[in-house]
Amino acid sequence: MQTAERNSPETTAKTADVPLQLSNIKALVEKINVEGLGRTKDDLVIKTIKELFEAKDFQQVVLKSQEVRTKLEKLGCFKNVGVFIDTSKGQDATSSGLEITFTVKELKRVLGGINTLVGNNEGSLVIGSNLPNTFGRGEKLQVEYTYGTKQSKGFNGMFVKPLHNKANSILTSSFYQQNSEWPSSGYHLCEQGISLDASFDSVPLLRHSVQWEGVWRELSCQSRTTTFPVREQAGHSLKSALRHVIHYDNRDSAVFSNRGTLFRMVQELAGLGGDVGFVKHELTYQLNVPITNDVVLQGSFQGGFMKRLNDEKMIYICDRFFLGGPHTVRGFEQRGIGPQSDNQALGAQTYWAAGLHLFTPLPFKPGHGGLGDILRTHFFVNAGNIDNFNFGDNIKESARILTDRYRLSYGMGLMLRLGTVARIELNYCVPLKCQRGDRTHHGVQVAVGVQFL
Amino acid sequence: MPSVLLTDSISFELGALEPWPSDVKLYQPYEVEHILLQDQANSLAVQVFLRMCGLEFQVEMRSNAEHMSPSGKLPFIKCGAFVVADLDPIVSFIANKGINLTDHLDAAQKADMRAYMSLANNILGNAELYISWCDENVLNEVTCPRYGSVYSWPLNTLLTWRKQKQVTKKLTALGWITKTLDEVYEDVDHCCNALSERLGNHLYFFNDRCTELDAVVFGHVFTLLTTPLPDNRLASIVRSYPNLVEACQFLEKAFFQKPTANTTDGDSDNFN
Repeated sequence: MQTAERNSPETTAKTADVPLQLSNIKALVEKINVEGLGRTKDDLVIKTIKELFEAKDFQQVVLKSQEVRTKLEKLGCFKNVGVFIDTSKGQDATSSGLEITFTVKELKRVLGGINTLVGNNEGSLVIGSNLPNTFGRGEKLQVEYTYGTKQSKGFNGMFVKPLHNKANSILTSSFYQQNSEWPSSGYHLCEQGISLDASFDSVPLLRHSVQWEGVWRELSCQSRTTTFPVREQAGHSLKSALRHVIHYDNRDSAVFSNRGTLFRMVQELAGLGGDVGFVKHELTYQLNVPITNDVVLQGSFQGGFMKRLNDEKMIYICDRFFLGGPHTVRGFEQRGIGPQSDNQALGAQTYWAAGLHLFTPLPFKPGHGGLGDILRTHFFVNAGNIDNFNFGDNIKESARILTDRYRLSYGMGLMLRLGTVARIELNYCVPLKCQRGDRTHHGVQVAVGVQFL
Repeated sequence: MPSVLLTDSISFELGALEPWPSDVKLYQPYEVEHILLQDQANSLAVQVFLRMCGLEFQVEMRSNAEHMSPSGKLPFIKCGAFVVADLDPIVSFIANKGINLTDHLDAAQKADMRAYMSLANNILGNAELYISWCDENVLNEVTCPRYGSVYSWPLNTLLTWRKQKQVTKKLTALGWITKTLDEVYEDVDHCCNALSERLGNHLYFFNDRCTELDAVVFGHVFTLLTTPLPDNRLASIVRSYPNLVEACQFLEKAFFQKPTANTTDGDSDNFN
């Protein structure tokens, strides 16, 4: 009887000392409620929250419900998602059962907005409206009208259907009209087309896109002084092309990268229908190596090669590659390297460009949280070559042809970050090597843009 | 950037300083399967004019000649660094180099010539446009296949439709769209009558020497006589004025039948 009455002092001491281990508490998710659903389809929601039933202890429940909450927010159907975990109640409840309630707020039927967009040396105003979660599974229907500073206008209508699978596949179909001016080549281009795209991740971070594009292009001369080789290309052409894009980007930031690599390869086959036919390969590679805490060394390379498909189909000037300018090989005018006629660029079928950059913080080190975050100094060496080379079978000979008359420039400057996508560069450039006919720019070059060599 | 007008006048001034180059080219659409009535008439007019002046040139046929032209009009010539389109600007351009065919005319005759050229281009030119683009028969059997022959599907249908709208708009502005086909044939008849009367029994319109007016009339008459259409009323109207036909044949023999190294087009057909 004594033993029954006495509370053992050791047991009481034990329960007070041991910290609470969530993973030791057995828990089972018995019921999941989702409140606030309207047009979102049930099967999509069920697919997303299903994994929560696999949780076996409380820690797993808490972690998984956070994961599921993030997944629900990324579906493109909901604005906010709230989580509430409670013990399960009701007739079928067990002692370790839990009931989880997700409170979701669906996106409105129609959203509209006015944004600004930064492109290469151009800013644009975008007025658009979109219908998010159009049919209940995260689809999006979007219409946009763009007006740019360089008189470029365009609009596009797009329908996006994400498949919500492991590979994060997304199907996109769009039609667009785009007007653009190219004064460095003397023409104005109007493109109207349809494109279909299927993108997926083959392994995490490696994204593939398989696209088909049908474009009606109208090229017209900007003025009476447009050079004759460009005038000869004026008129209408139809391009029907298949494209495959591989994109891998593990940099910590696209604008001011400190570490990581970017790899992008585009292969295009034009000529299934239409009168434009070529095979085009283009490669972009960038490697960032942090040297000390603030100093980054970046090496980048771009190259492209295209070949006419057969004698019946043509390559037009708007398909060719161009080189030179504050976004590619600095120290040259826009499209200033390569075949020119009357100071207007004609483009060519093969090119390569390479850059070696050293990014350092500002000399007086203002530190984090101020100017130091958005400004950097920049030392660079750029090189490149472009022409309609004739390659034979000999690799050594081909390599020699490619590097024979290369261009070189170096310089330094300041970079200013605009948000997370674009930057402004102010550089002082010195062209070192150039060929006859190139349009060089010795001095200060300013550029705004998203993509730089 | 200098204004376009200033650039034109500067370019004409500069053009006057250079002699006629040896590699001048005349651009037009493909003769056999592409070119249409009005463009053919204009191109022949320019070709015979250049030969009348004794100037060498080569004919280049391009599927996009219409879009290459700085003003959209055909034909156009590339003379050194200058690109000049349409007969009147070409005549002025050549006159700047000191070559012209109207020295022997007095002021009244020059005014007369301009009036008749205007008559020929307005009536015959617009009639050619009307028959090509507004007559259902000709449109479906001749114009659409020819205009679209240089483009792949679906551009050929799209562009032909677009061009038809442009031409219809132009003819509406000129008041031609409301005419019936018979009225158009009547207008052609009246015009040929006026030209025939002016020509009389000479071979040239003025002083027995060739001028631009002869070139323009040659272009239209030759085209109307030699282009096969579903309905041959145009050809028969022109044929009912034998002096016009004779003048046309004479010019053809004089300037086209010699097989020269200057032309790359097929030499002109005979009348049938």
